[in-house]
Amino acid sequence: MRILVVEDERKIAEALRAGLAGEGYEVVVAATGEEGFYLVNAETFDLVILDIMLPGRDGIQVLTTLRERGLQTPVLILTARDAIEDRVLGLDTGADDYMTKPFAFPELLARIRALVRRGRADQTLKLKAADLEMDLVARKVTRSSQPIELTVKEFEVLECLMRHQGHVVSREMIAREVWNETTWTAPLYNVIDVHIARLRRKVDEPCPTKLIQTVRGVGFVVREDEP
Amino acid sequence: MNPLSIRARLTLYYALALALTTLLLSGGVYFLVRADLLRQMDTQLSQDLETVSKSARAEPDEMLEVAQQGSITLFEVRSAGRVVAATPAWRQAEIANSPVRVVSGFWQSTGQALRKSKSRNTVTLETTRHRLYYLKRGSVPTPGAPLEVSVARDGESVRHTLRSLAAILLVGFACALGLALAGGYFMAGRALAPIGAMASKAKAITADKLSERLPVHNADDELGRLATTFNSTLARLEDSFDKLRRFTSDASHELRTPLAAMKIVGEVALRDGGDPAAYREGIGSMLEEVDRLTRLVESLLTLTRADSGEAKLSRTYTDLSALAGEVVECMRVLADEKGVKLSTDIADDIHATVDPAVLRQAVLNLVDNAIKYTPEGGEVHLAVRQMDGRATIEVADSGQGIPEQHRRHVFDRFYRGDAARSSETGGVGLGLAIARWAVETNGGTIELAPQNEKGSVFRISFPNKQQEVE
Repeated sequence: MRILVVEDERKIAEALRAGLAGEGYEVVVAATGEEGFYLVNAETFDLVILDIMLPGRDGIQVLTTLRERGLQTPVLILTARDAIEDRVLGLDTGADDYMTKPFAFPELLARIRALVRRGRADQTLKLKAADLEMDLVARKVTRSSQPIELTVKEFEVLECLMRHQGHVVSREMIAREVWNETTWTAPLYNVIDVHIARLRRKVDEPCPTKLIQTVRGVGFVVREDEP
Repeated sequence: MNPLSIRARLTLYYALALALTTLLLSGGVYFLVRADLLRQMDTQLSQDLETVSKSARAEPDEMLEVAQQGSITLFEVRSAGRVVAATPAWRQAEIANSPVRVVSGFWQSTGQALRKSKSRNTVTLETTRHRLYYLKRGSVPTPGAPLEVSVARDGESVRHTLRSLAAILLVGFACALGLALAGGYFMAGRALAPIGAMASKAKAITADKLSERLPVHNADDELGRLATTFNSTLARLEDSFDKLRRFTSDASHELRTPLAAMKIVGEVALRDGGDPAAYREGIGSMLEEVDRLTRLVESLLTLTRADSGEAKLSRTYTDLSALAGEVVECMRVLADEKGVKLSTDIADDIHATVDPAVLRQAVLNLVDNAIKYTPEGGEVHLAVRQMDGRATIEVADSGQGIPEQHRRHVFDRFYRGDAARSSETGGVGLGLAIARWAVETNGGTIELAPQNEKGSVFRISFPNKQQEVE
């Protein structure tokens, strides 16, 4: 899977290259709009991550010409501009997703997965991690076949973690997916932490293998092995 | 053309008014004097005519003698167009014979026409020698043809008097106009001088010296009001500048704290060296500070957008009861965890026209705040009800309350009543500021209810009729 990163901020570009390579993607970095435009025409990519404010040709121009030539490669815009107008402009121009800086890397990964997966039906009815099972239809959770009683929100938080199994989920992602809260300013962090603590008590405490793990400063992850 | 200065305009208006007055007055005087002189002339001519007519009727044959020696110097008697008698002066003046210009009267013609006319009125005429005469005619019936009697008086003295009068009035008018211009200019200058002084004083007041004020000599006159208005504008400016200054310094301080933490944690982690677990710990800790910084910057951005009016709302007729219920359900876990009782008293069907997402933030912040400042075993109570015709949301806590000196500032940015408790609660000090913006931008009010013995009560209220949303 090849990803083109068009980003002029060297540190961010390098971090993206390293991070994405670590996830098993093949990454090509372009530092200017022209270079990115040339590469996307010359080679084949599965995804383009595009900054808006670029030297030379800006991201929107690159995207416009790209779409005019009929290239359907999914494009994820990554920018510091977060006004609604910018967002609308980006999506109208043909971007498939839009993220504002600063962004959480786990969330970027989740969105990349979603974009690449797009088109394939996501009809998961059951989620499973080790001996923890979630039945999304009956809304039942079992661990080693023992039923666990969860509140609605606890269930949704666990579902969010289980869907991104093996990948770190940030607090903003949980806030967005479970509470539909898009602003950073709402005091939901403590609420999320409490839910995680309760989930741990119910899901992990009775068992020797701790599935819900905290990645300090980043978020939470459901996985079997210790980091 | 450049617009004139206020001083010049005032002067002009003043002079114009005075000129008009003087003109009207002079014209009045002139015409009154003239009418009086003419009436006198008419009376004298009538007397002359009477005298001449009498003697002509009594002794027609002696008229020649009368004409030579009589006291009336200008007359002529004709019979059937032939001159019977005329004074030497009359002949000399050539009133009847030479073509003359009629200056006033009903005729617009020369002496020829004059002779033909039957008028009995006084006529003003000018002879070819440019002398002015007043003329009056009458007829004396005799057994034969009637006698035509004409008397005249020299009009030069009248003309001279009127000319002198006109000259005096004209000079007077010119003097008055000159005086009006000079005086007006002087007075306007005096009246406007304080404004000029004000302007130069105001010019000297810059952003650095906003505490200075214009002097107010008399608060009730026009200039006093101007100065007072200007001063209150200055006061507001000074206030916002102060706020901005404080805000900038507070913001820098708030930014500096997580930066300092990141720096020290990073440096220490590097020094320890080698142990991946320690690295992970250090980087995680730094990332937490990054989160804190991000939240701070996002909050600042929200408020900045609010200040510049960029924040866009989508206001709809919202069920506040349901919104408050959701917030309570969301925050209940926090209260449970802390051992704080979260109770509610939510009336059904309380509505207001607000942006639900924005208002939700305000209520979340209030409840979060209340839980933070309520000790274990305490209670946070949220009530939604109709009060005095307004939809009201009240968040009460049983914390230690807010001391009197801090109450005024609780909604200020970065304001923390007690500096010591800021770090342990972990907030960035913008929650209530954001709550206030969120409520006020939706057309509501937010206040800290008067102090009571148990804790603080924050009250949000909205007019609850369905509003037209702009």
